[in-house]
Amino acid sequence: MLRIYRALLHLYPASHRELFGAEMIAVFSQMQADTAKKSMTARGVFSLREAAGLLRGAMREQVRALGAHVRLSFPTRRFTMRNGFRFPKSTPVLMTIILAGLVLAIEKGKAIQASLPAVNPQIGPIQPEHHTLLPIIALAFAFFYVAGALGWAILFALRRSGVHRLADMSAQQK
Amino acid sequence: METLPLTEPVLLILLSLAGQPRHGYSILKDVEHMSDGRVVLSTGTLYGALRRLLDDDWIERFEERDSSRGRQAYRLTPQGRRNLQLEVSRMKHLTRLANLRVAVKES
Repeated sequence: MLRIYRALLHLYPASHRELFGAEMIAVFSQMQADTAKKSMTARGVFSLREAAGLLRGAMREQVRALGAHVRLSFPTRRFTMRNGFRFPKSTPVLMTIILAGLVLAIEKGKAIQASLPAVNPQIGPIQPEHHTLLPIIALAFAFFYVAGALGWAILFALRRSGVHRLADMSAQQK
Repeated sequence: METLPLTEPVLLILLSLAGQPRHGYSILKDVEHMSDGRVVLSTGTLYGALRRLLDDDWIERFEERDSSRGRQAYRLTPQGRRNLQLEVSRMKHLTRLANLRVAVKES
């Protein structure tokens, strides 16, 4: 039984085992010695209770350890940003106003559409012809990508790219 | 994290430590004794609760001086004692209220 108990202890995170492992085994051994004098049913109940307790405890500790890991990977505290890169305080207000404007525009559009059912009869489904849209999107994407890269290369040559500006800011702060 | 109201096993563990510091086996036995054998904790449940209470600074762990094996024992911190008192007060209030309501209903 003690061997099974030791094996089940490995289900716990290593930190928990290091802190409580030896102590848990010692307490379990004492409990087992107490139960050895009791009936077979009592011994069975004890074994089941211990196994269930260990499994439940191990699961809980693993979830806790995972939670701590996630909290560490995605800190909920505010990121430390340079003052130059922080949004102004008015940004959330402006974004909210813009969002509200968008929602209002959508609702207004829906209302207009609902009020003119006869004037604008429903147009049937548009059939794609030879998939012309996809190459155009790819071409536009490639064009803007090349234009962006070209622009960045020009700025880099003029020492005005973001990398240079960051380096200048760091030098000024020092 | 432990929050009020406490679960019965946690409450019994804290009550067990309220009188004196105890080691794991002693806590298990005391909890069983206090609850007249109704609550029998497994080692997994006990050490899970002890871990949370340690993390929340409700109890502290120390090495027993008179133990030849360097056994670890646990005792309540001032914060743990305060929280236990809060829980007991809450339960007292609840019991008083329940008694009053039951008495009114019976009369």
